[in-house]
Amino acid sequence: MKNILTIAKNTFRETIRDRILYGILGFAILFLLSTVFFGSISLGEDTKVIKDLGLAGIYIFSLIIAVFLGSQLIHKELEKRTIYIILSKPVSTAQFILGKYLGLLSSLVINIAFMAIIYLAVVKFVGNQIDYLALWAFLLNILELSVFVALTILFSSFTAPLAGTIYAILILYIGHSLELLRKAAEKSGDLVKYLVEALYYLFPNLEKFNIRNFIVYGTPPTVAQIIYPALYSVLLTLILLWLANLCLKKRDL
Amino acid sequence: MIKISNLTKEYGDVKVVDSLSLEVKKGNIFGFLGPNGAGKTTTIKMIVGLAQRSSGEISINGKELESLGSREKIGYMPEDPYFYEQLTAVELLQYMAELFKNRDKITKLAHIEEILELVGLKDVAKKKVGAFSKGMKQRLGLAQAIINNPDYLFLDEPLDGLDPIGRLEFKDIFLKLKKRGKTIFFNSHVLSDVEEICDEIGIINNGILVYAGPVKPFCQNEPLEKRFVEIINEQISKSASQQISKEEA
Repeated sequence: MKNILTIAKNTFRETIRDRILYGILGFAILFLLSTVFFGSISLGEDTKVIKDLGLAGIYIFSLIIAVFLGSQLIHKELEKRTIYIILSKPVSTAQFILGKYLGLLSSLVINIAFMAIIYLAVVKFVGNQIDYLALWAFLLNILELSVFVALTILFSSFTAPLAGTIYAILILYIGHSLELLRKAAEKSGDLVKYLVEALYYLFPNLEKFNIRNFIVYGTPPTVAQIIYPALYSVLLTLILLWLANLCLKKRDL
Repeated sequence: MIKISNLTKEYGDVKVVDSLSLEVKKGNIFGFLGPNGAGKTTTIKMIVGLAQRSSGEISINGKELESLGSREKIGYMPEDPYFYEQLTAVELLQYMAELFKNRDKITKLAHIEEILELVGLKDVAKKKVGAFSKGMKQRLGLAQAIINNPDYLFLDEPLDGLDPIGRLEFKDIFLKLKKRGKTIFFNSHVLSDVEEICDEIGIINNGILVYAGPVKPFCQNEPLEKRFVEIINEQISKSASQQISKEEA
């Protein structure tokens, strides 16, 4: 456990010192502040528009950070051979993968927290109340990112960063379209129905983590809307990290 | 004692290391020599657990080198070492030290400064590794390998990229470590240095060990470089004649 935390601490330090991160964060802050302007031109729906854009913005910017940092995470270690000095110490590949995962996820949590503070301040400034419900959306955002980070780690353990990024984004896109696809397939023939059904169970259903619309309309999420995605996230993350460990173990360094 | 028995590494049909067996006595400096692509780095990587062996056994003091625990007492320096460029030398060594069981003792700043002084990096302790020259990275590579006070050191081309003064300092460090009872196993192309500091050598060519033993009897009053070239050429012609007789049969 100590080794996992040591690797996580170093990964966190490494990602937090990455200049790319600050560039993306800069754009995120500008975007969150600009929602005030978009709200002001929306004819009385300003708080709703700010919430809508703000929550979506935090989600997208946190994904961009995860893509940039996550897709290179293991690959950079392999390419620059820094992994040699770690795995020749009493460290297993599983400890290495878990440490990398926790380090990147904690860095993302800090970034989401930073963006969330700006979002809450903007909503308070315009709507005169703190949007406590948004905290649930941030929590589910983190749970989805947990799956996404594990996915990027899996891809970066056996493929190049660009290919890994493309695969991860494709899975993300499919993962958010599964419900729509399933509904559309209901009117199609049996073959299409079975194919879509297979896709539905094969790919992670990431729409489970999206409660942003409820939050925008001020509806508190149910316990099931939080518990099930949390369990789903933990299970998927563990499976993906286990696969990443298998890939790395099989690899000759 | 390091004991390697019938160590083999295959990539498909190609044997990169072929039934290599050798022993290195405790407290000795062992030079592992061979032309480029002979299998030296692969052998070291298999010993420290970075590459999986196809077959064979490696043990240190009679214990199989399989478990993570066995790595507590070994140190490894890769060829052309790379590091986390955002970290300073002290931060990197602290990070490495934290990965060992005796972390409480070896993460202390005094211990890290002592190691940095030994390898000649004390003045740049707080400088980011990204700004280090190749020679400085070599020194840091050695520092991270000895951070846990290992009994057995495996160094892959440690003298590469060092100027003559740096090489001299490294050789001094090796001899100091030997005096402290450490066993050093290293690859090198710099044969004059090997001749100077090694108790024993192993010579590998095309994955096959062609000599293992003391340096002086091998040299027979001739420079190591000359004898090295002779033995490699002998092995090449032996392999060629074996190939011809195989084809004729």
